[in-house]
Amino acid sequence: MAIVCLDRLCKKYPGGDALAVDSVSLEIAHGEFMVLLGPSGCGKSTTLRMVAGLEAISSGELSIDGKRVNDIPAKDRDIAMVFQSYALYPHMSVFDNLAFGLRRRNFSSSEIERRVRDVSATLGLAEFLKRKPHALSGGQRQRVALGRAIVRDPKVFLFDEPLSNLDAALRVGMRGELIKLHHRLDATMIYVTHDQVEAMTMGDRICIMNGGKVVQIGAPLDVYREPADTFVAAFLGSPPTNLLPARFAAGALRIGDSTLALQRDCPQDVIFGIRPEDIRIEGGAPQLHGEVLAVEPLGAETIVRFRLPGVQSDVLARGPRTVRAKVGERVPLAFDMASAHLFDPATARRIAQERK
Amino acid sequence: MFSRGVLFVIVTLYTAFAAGPFLWVATMSVRTTTEISLDHYAWPEIWHWEKFPAAWFKSNYQVYFENSLLVVVSAVIVLTVIGSMAAHCFARYKFRANRLLYFIIFSAIIFPPQITIISMFQILVQYGLYNSLVGLSLVYIAVQLPLTVYILESFFARIPADLFDAARIDGYSEWQIFWKVSLPIALPAISTTIILNTILLWNEFLYAVVLITDESKRTLPLGIQRFMGDQLEDVGMIATGLMIAIIPVVLIYAFFSEKLIQGMTAGAVK
Repeated sequence: MAIVCLDRLCKKYPGGDALAVDSVSLEIAHGEFMVLLGPSGCGKSTTLRMVAGLEAISSGELSIDGKRVNDIPAKDRDIAMVFQSYALYPHMSVFDNLAFGLRRRNFSSSEIERRVRDVSATLGLAEFLKRKPHALSGGQRQRVALGRAIVRDPKVFLFDEPLSNLDAALRVGMRGELIKLHHRLDATMIYVTHDQVEAMTMGDRICIMNGGKVVQIGAPLDVYREPADTFVAAFLGSPPTNLLPARFAAGALRIGDSTLALQRDCPQDVIFGIRPEDIRIEGGAPQLHGEVLAVEPLGAETIVRFRLPGVQSDVLARGPRTVRAKVGERVPLAFDMASAHLFDPATARRIAQERK
Repeated sequence: MFSRGVLFVIVTLYTAFAAGPFLWVATMSVRTTTEISLDHYAWPEIWHWEKFPAAWFKSNYQVYFENSLLVVVSAVIVLTVIGSMAAHCFARYKFRANRLLYFIIFSAIIFPPQITIISMFQILVQYGLYNSLVGLSLVYIAVQLPLTVYILESFFARIPADLFDAARIDGYSEWQIFWKVSLPIALPAISTTIILNTILLWNEFLYAVVLITDESKRTLPLGIQRFMGDQLEDVGMIATGLMIAIIPVVLIYAFFSEKLIQGMTAGAVK
């Protein structure tokens, strides 16, 4: 059992004005796969490194299984970490890389041998045990890095963007393996990434961070469907949510020169947010028209970029692969208003839905 | 681009330029001084191999050689250990005045030895280390430490910090991380400094001539100098002594050379 609890964790670097991590509170249940997601510099890695014990905690409290570990050194926290650079010891064989942590912990050599064999068999590394890291491919190195964490059988696994050095195909494969691994080990895992696809597919819950603060915590689909603010709406999803300034008057939203009927009450000035998949290009009851600027067929689907009259920014719609729209055409658009969101332009927070 | 022929000529000329003087001294080392003064460049007619045992046993080269070995080996060992530890700290740990201390150590490189030698002499006299091999060894360590730290620091700084973090999480202390992770990875750079320091100190003359007076404490360069008199120069014995002096340098270079190339081409950490 391992419950990791972050209570108002802060990190301030000497000489820095702002907090790198600003009062992050988070409770990670046993066996949970928690993803810390955010753009680079949002404090997610620093948060992870504080949990790991590699970075001193400026204020706040960190506990693992109810025990305060703020001042306990990394080696005694019973955690394992997988680094983006893999951090394999270049002068040691794969076997020694895997055994390095165990040797320090005074396991018998037969036990070390057994564990290393087990893990290397699971990860398909059995035939590479005598090789040095430089003689391995990127994917194999990644496996060794993973194996080094697994072999220790720690309470908590920490991952710092472990897949971002892999090429796209390998990344998809490793993603699947990590998910399987999580189910098999039933271990608590904290995973840092800036890749929203990784976050959506792997996480039990996602914690989205921006500017050192937690913006939203929730299950991937909940966060996707109900973004707390414009940042989350724009950060999650590819292409991102369309965010358009709008004005509410007499039961309708005015976006540029177009008008959309709105079945709810809202303040006068709002930001209207709608995901590309909630805009239908062909079919549905068209509410307004847009001019097609570009058509980007992706095979399985088609992204259509268009302009609404009187709106500065482009609007993106995700249609099926059968979309026939041509550049320059004026096409009818149907907005799924039930899935759209309104945000307060002052605070950027989502305005909770109160149906009339 | 050069064609192969032109390149071959250039390489041949360069080899002659580099190896010529060595070959010349080598031929002189098996000729007597009388023979040499008749014709400086002649090929040996009779190979006087007996000059080597004569130099070793009768001309005291054995003593000089042992003194040199003692001073240089001890200095290089201490330099390597202290230098790599210092470099590791400068490269790895953030602490107040890190860069300032590094600069102070490194800036010592800019002073030519002639500037510091008098104060060095006075300090050694005060501490009773003048005219002693221990004193000379200490001076060698002090003189070579800045360059050693400089070379090693830049190498240690290139070792990714993630490796240290991984080792910390694996449960190792800072001290163990230095020995088990830093040092083995930095081996190519350390070999380079070992070769560099050994060669420089093995041939060192200035400090030795100022700080050593006893015949029994002379190092090899001083021993060779003994054969250069005001009126008389035993050129043959000097050449024989030089050949004896060169052998360890060639040996250490051959032993560490593969590592040396690795160190110079760097990028070993990836």
